[in-house]
Amino acid sequence: MSTAPVVGAAPIEFVRASRWYGPVIALNDVTATVPPGVTGLLGPNGAGKSTFLKLAAGQFAPSQGEVRLLGRPAWGSPEVFHRVGFCPEPDAFWENLTGLQFLAGLLRLSGFEEAECRERALAALDTVALADAKDRKLGGYSKGMRQRAKIAQAIAHDPDVLLLDEPVSGLDPVNRRRVIDLVKKLGREGKTILVSSHILHEVEALTRRVLLIHNGRVLAEGDIREIRDLLDEHPHTVTLRSREPRALARAFVDAPHILTMSFAPDGEWLTVQTAKPDEFYGVLADHAIEAGVTEMYSPDEDLESVFKYLVAR
Amino acid sequence: MRDTSKAVPFVPAARAVFGLALDGMLWSRRSLVMALLLGIPVVIAIVFRVVVAAHVPADITGYKLYGVLVAMFWVRNALPLVALFYGTALIADEVEGKTLTYLVSRPVPRSAILTGKFAAYAATTLCLALPSMVLTFFILASTEGSTLAGSVPDLFRDLGVLALTLLVYGALFTLFGVLLRWPLILGLLFLFFWELIANLPGYMPRFTVTAWLRSLIGHRPPGRGMSELFGQVLPVGLSLGVVCALTVVFLGLAIWIFSRREYVLDQ
Repeated sequence: MSTAPVVGAAPIEFVRASRWYGPVIALNDVTATVPPGVTGLLGPNGAGKSTFLKLAAGQFAPSQGEVRLLGRPAWGSPEVFHRVGFCPEPDAFWENLTGLQFLAGLLRLSGFEEAECRERALAALDTVALADAKDRKLGGYSKGMRQRAKIAQAIAHDPDVLLLDEPVSGLDPVNRRRVIDLVKKLGREGKTILVSSHILHEVEALTRRVLLIHNGRVLAEGDIREIRDLLDEHPHTVTLRSREPRALARAFVDAPHILTMSFAPDGEWLTVQTAKPDEFYGVLADHAIEAGVTEMYSPDEDLESVFKYLVAR
Repeated sequence: MRDTSKAVPFVPAARAVFGLALDGMLWSRRSLVMALLLGIPVVIAIVFRVVVAAHVPADITGYKLYGVLVAMFWVRNALPLVALFYGTALIADEVEGKTLTYLVSRPVPRSAILTGKFAAYAATTLCLALPSMVLTFFILASTEGSTLAGSVPDLFRDLGVLALTLLVYGALFTLFGVLLRWPLILGLLFLFFWELIANLPGYMPRFTVTAWLRSLIGHRPPGRGMSELFGQVLPVGLSLGVVCALTVVFLGLAIWIFSRREYVLDQ
């Protein structure tokens, strides 16, 4: 029997797949196909996105139904991982390794020769702007650098399928833009990319095709614009860490789309609520470097409310 | 040229895992603690040589003390403990550190992952234990002067027993680590309760690991007294065969279970 991935098969396919952990159902009777290009896996925290991605990445088997990766069962088919890159969500590393050792070591596990491992590792680090930090230990990387190192290990072996779990979480605006551009470029090259996020605006920046997931079920799949229209009714919240949060606040203070702004007691964090995320991110891009923005998060309460609305419809 | 239609072959995959794991295992806090534990006989040897030797009866020699340390410190207590702390953590560390994902999302057989990690364990623990035994031997045996050269073959035999002790207990506790929820506690119970039956008469000692290992030690002190510390001695050839077979069986079972088990990493 051939163990090669099946030619012409859908890159990622869920057929009535369920997964439960003891009495908790994380994914419930999901049937979905992910075609080539970029697809956003969108849902609030706890919706089942990570379970969906881990099933797709063959990290564990479905409790019921089937999950196929390149036409082969995702669980128990290690050969398909030649063509799959997985960027997990946890901020976990072998801290004593340098960025270069980490990537080269994982490339050796993908079967590359020594010289090619180094070459590919350097190229991947360069792609995520970590070339200068290649000889630094991962334990000394900032959160944003660690996030980029995870992305680098996922793309270093040039996979056809990329599974990215919250890939821009914790990145500063410049690197967020860099990663978004990279994902879009890879999508245009015909790779199949599934990106999970709980932030609608983040997914919207990457693709128009989304899978909406909530309480372990796929609610809808299709064009993001329909969801986007719903979001206009709901304010979008962004929390930023900056060297100059007050200077950053001054840049936003006159913008009509800003609803509220507040500072954390430590004086480094600024939380902004906006009615127009597009305009907000445009202004932010102009001031991010000057104000020293190093981290950015968006809580998902706004998305949660959209999902509540969708479920109630 | 890579063949992407198949998983990476076992040997290069295990070697790659070994390369990733070795550095982290060797330069860890665990290794520091274990190095201190394994350094105790060196301290004992120095104290004996410098302070005690002149005040004890002539028949209590440094070489006899070395024999006791081999049997009672290394083979019976320290090396099994070292194996327990490393073996149970081989996969548990990757699960708790959430780094297992990187290994199981590569085109390698899971058997190669555990084998590579086990090889890294063996290399690390041998690096920690061998110098301790060699140093202790030379500090204590050199008090006998002329017998030193004649005792060196015993040292090599002891080093072999040391390696076998680390391998068989390492394999056993790796099995505990992939099979049990509380491997450390159960491992301690195994070492310090179950293994005591090695001192009973009859067939019972054959159901322990330590009875087979102690039978491999060559330079048992003559006469009564210290020799009784070694308990029942089983045939050497049989002991060697049993220890090797146990290592293969324990490690084989651990690999079999790890290859089939799901590890759900908590978010």
